[in-house]
Amino acid sequence: MVVTPEKVLKPVGAGLRVVQGQIGVLGFGTEMFYAFILIACSLMIYFGTRELYKLSGHRGIKYFRLSFLFFALAYFFRSFIKFLISSFQIKHILKLLPFSFGKITLFIFMYFSTLAILYLLYSIKWKEWDRTKYVKYFLHIISLLFAFLAIVYQNTTLYIGINIVLFLLVLQTLYQKPKKKKKNNLFFIYVLLSLFWALNILDILIPTAFQYFQLLIYLASSFIFLLILYKVTKNIGST
Amino acid sequence: MAKRNKLEIMKDVLELVSQNHNSIKPTPLLRKSNISSSRFKQYYQEILKKALIREILDRKNNKTISLTEKGFRFLEKYQTIVHFIDEFEL
Repeated sequence: MVVTPEKVLKPVGAGLRVVQGQIGVLGFGTEMFYAFILIACSLMIYFGTRELYKLSGHRGIKYFRLSFLFFALAYFFRSFIKFLISSFQIKHILKLLPFSFGKITLFIFMYFSTLAILYLLYSIKWKEWDRTKYVKYFLHIISLLFAFLAIVYQNTTLYIGINIVLFLLVLQTLYQKPKKKKKNNLFFIYVLLSLFWALNILDILIPTAFQYFQLLIYLASSFIFLLILYKVTKNIGST
Repeated sequence: MAKRNKLEIMKDVLELVSQNHNSIKPTPLLRKSNISSSRFKQYYQEILKKALIREILDRKNNKTISLTEKGFRFLEKYQTIVHFIDEFEL
């Protein structure tokens, strides 16, 4: 792998470089396979729990499902654009509008990925949070704000700051939640999911930061999603 | 006895209908469900809206309640739903 001077310690930020990401680091096939696993797991969780939600109308199940739909959408936007760039040589079209296209893609990705993590928290805290009327709007506003900050200020420190804030929010929320069972590893699964999701976002925003650990991040993230899918399918049985 | 949650009450109401040969009048259902009439109204409207039960009017305009297919499916899947909610602490 050749690290060009342009790549070293240079925040990618918005623009074409973000959507192109690091296809070259691990290879396009690995990128697509990783995206496929994450999107497939998320959609299987979303559609697999549809009947449980339709029958019960339980709000916790609703927000849990939505969280995985947002995960799928976030990764879909990231990977679909990469796929278009690599497969159909749309670089020429993008060159005409590189700034806006890259920014829009980054904005959508940041918006959905932040929303996914916030909805995962919402699913376990809905009984408390739903006492306030406008929680949903608030979560969307936070996600929009983070996405907006990411595209306006192309700053490495800001990207790391946003993800640390999100991760601390997850930790604090999960820690406050009273544990129903003594032996429930859900806390660790959600913490790991949030941690690796933050690393995923940083990996896209600042490619030079984790280029030697990218495969490890991908493997760990895939494992966490597969673990959650396993837990879901084990619980819903033949639904 | 621990306070029943919303899902449990819904299940109990549906089970009462099912145990009564899938046909029961509103008043005995209210009596057997062991909840206040205001709460019963609230849950009744909800399960009716979710199409878990249906109201049937006979010739004398008497209302009877029976489970829909979705209602039977709810009873079938109730343990799965509860287990899922418990497992993911939703």
